[in-house]
Amino acid sequence: MRDVETRPRRNEWFIIAAIILVSLPLILGFFLLILSSFSEDMITNLSPSSFRPTIENWINVFQGKLAITGGIRQNILKITFNTLIVALGVSGIVTLISTLAGYSLSRMKFQGRKLMMLLLLMLHAFPGVALIVGVYLFYRLTFPQDPSMVRLYSFFYVVLARAALEIPMSVWLMKGFFDTIPWEFEWSGIIDGASRIKVWWKIMLPLIKPGILAVALFGFLAGWQDLIYVRTFLIDKTLATFIEANIEAEYSHMPLIAAAGTLYLLPTIIFFLTAQQLLLQGYSGGIKG
Amino acid sequence: MMGMVGITLEEITKKFGNFTALNKINLKIEDKEFMALLGPSGSGKSTLLYTIAGIYKPSSGKIYFNDKDVTETPPKDRNVGLVFQNWALYPHMRVFKNIAFPLELKKSSRNEIEKKVREVAKMLHIDHLLDRYPWQLSGGQQQRVAIARALVKEPDVLLLDEPLSNLDALLRLEVRAELKRLQKELGITTIYVTHDQAEALAMADRIAIIREGKILQVGDPDEVYYKPMYKFVAGFLGSPPMNFIHAEVEGGNIRIYQSKISVPKQYREIIKRLEITEVLFGFRPHDAEIIRGEREGIKGEVYSFEPLGREQIVTIAVNSDVFVKVFAPEGEHFSFGEKVTIVPNEERVILFDKKTEKALEYFP
Repeated sequence: MRDVETRPRRNEWFIIAAIILVSLPLILGFFLLILSSFSEDMITNLSPSSFRPTIENWINVFQGKLAITGGIRQNILKITFNTLIVALGVSGIVTLISTLAGYSLSRMKFQGRKLMMLLLLMLHAFPGVALIVGVYLFYRLTFPQDPSMVRLYSFFYVVLARAALEIPMSVWLMKGFFDTIPWEFEWSGIIDGASRIKVWWKIMLPLIKPGILAVALFGFLAGWQDLIYVRTFLIDKTLATFIEANIEAEYSHMPLIAAAGTLYLLPTIIFFLTAQQLLLQGYSGGIKG
Repeated sequence: MMGMVGITLEEITKKFGNFTALNKINLKIEDKEFMALLGPSGSGKSTLLYTIAGIYKPSSGKIYFNDKDVTETPPKDRNVGLVFQNWALYPHMRVFKNIAFPLELKKSSRNEIEKKVREVAKMLHIDHLLDRYPWQLSGGQQQRVAIARALVKEPDVLLLDEPLSNLDALLRLEVRAELKRLQKELGITTIYVTHDQAEALAMADRIAIIREGKILQVGDPDEVYYKPMYKFVAGFLGSPPMNFIHAEVEGGNIRIYQSKISVPKQYREIIKRLEITEVLFGFRPHDAEIIRGEREGIKGEVYSFEPLGREQIVTIAVNSDVFVKVFAPEGEHFSFGEKVTIVPNEERVILFDKKTEKALEYFP
């Protein structure tokens, strides 16, 4: 007789088979993409003869050579760096605002609290694309006069706009995390002489680390992956817009794009592999201790 | 090492929306006193404690520490230490850091923190655990850490919110004695919230019994145990609880269903004066004798019999749906259905008014 928890479920093999079956096309797609980035030609079938290994694509990507012939060069490191700025910017703003707002929505009574929570939910329901006209109008209205500032401003604006899209969901998520912490932790800190903000920083935040990490990761990935907002507002290119721009260009060499695409996917893969456990813990939203 | 602090509560009322959690509470807690707030869950005892701590602000009324009005003083300036029911130890900090936290907030020097934390840890016998995290400790150890954290800042008042309820029964008995000793050694004014009447009786100098936001009675353990003011107090203290039977006064006698006994001496005057005809007849399981067969007393039939080692509880049906519990002497056994007579110790009988459920001797 085994413990209830460790007893194999009768249908387990069936579930596993179903999961594999459903995810097979996705896995295959990513597999072919990654394989193609190391190949002289795109691999579009599973015949081994079409795979002629080379690392030239990767070398070309890092040298910024977009076509095998011709002299079109782009600084891929700069583009990666741009992507990082946007991703980290979005992640930072989302994390800061959602931890503060989540705390006040969870712990403080103020006028319009309920309404605010409802509005956040509604905002979350709006797709970013639907808002883009208005967001663009505001962009034009706030455009700096000084041309040398435009580049910088476009970074600033895209980070802010993209973060704003993530914030409603993140605030709700963080509120849920704060809700799980018993009031006694907070009261204890207050009685011991801490201010509300100190309680938030020294007691509450450490208790919901998994939640903060989850929100920060989602923010980062949102910024890293975003195409539409970056394309609309940012003067410079990020990996997403770079791939998008080159995928249909006349001079494009597809295996090279595959290499760029793999580079683009890297953070997502790394994050989900390393932070899986943490994210799961984050979703269940409990604290141990 | 600690200042003299007595606490005075004046007409404290606390409302949450339409719900009145505390209703005009008046209470005086002397310096160095161990006061227990005893009541069932939802009675408002914890609310009262948090109001004294400053976490809740009373809707009306005043709180004084000595002669100083602290009603509007924020919690951190009241210099109170609070131990919560779940202890609220910060899981991300080591024990040392947990205890040091109040001192760090006070911006004490590092040397002072080190010295004081070690001192209080030694006092509570947890000095070997300072490098651990709270989740690496047993329940009893966690509880000591929580008390250490409350004591390290040398508070004027120690507030304890059911600190023992998360411990297992054996450990609770051990900590109970130790906590009482600690309180006396430190001479710190202490308020202790509990729903466990045995805890309150065992530890407190005085007990305030609270029900539905009102204080029913305040007194030392003997007073509230032997001279309960209300049926509720009498029924809440002692285990098993006091027996209550409906009874009618007929001249110098009390009729209890088919039985008739004379009115206890101490009540003769009062009953005459108040002209009461219906009472609740109360006596504790310890304060009555069981005699086989029919005698003068309360007649009944053995309904159940539970031997508990030194003591044995006999449940007796006085009427078809009225039961009382009485302790039988060691070694004596009763069989189900046996006819017996209960003879309550006259001096220990307490009569309550049927309508107000107040003990007759407390009537003006």
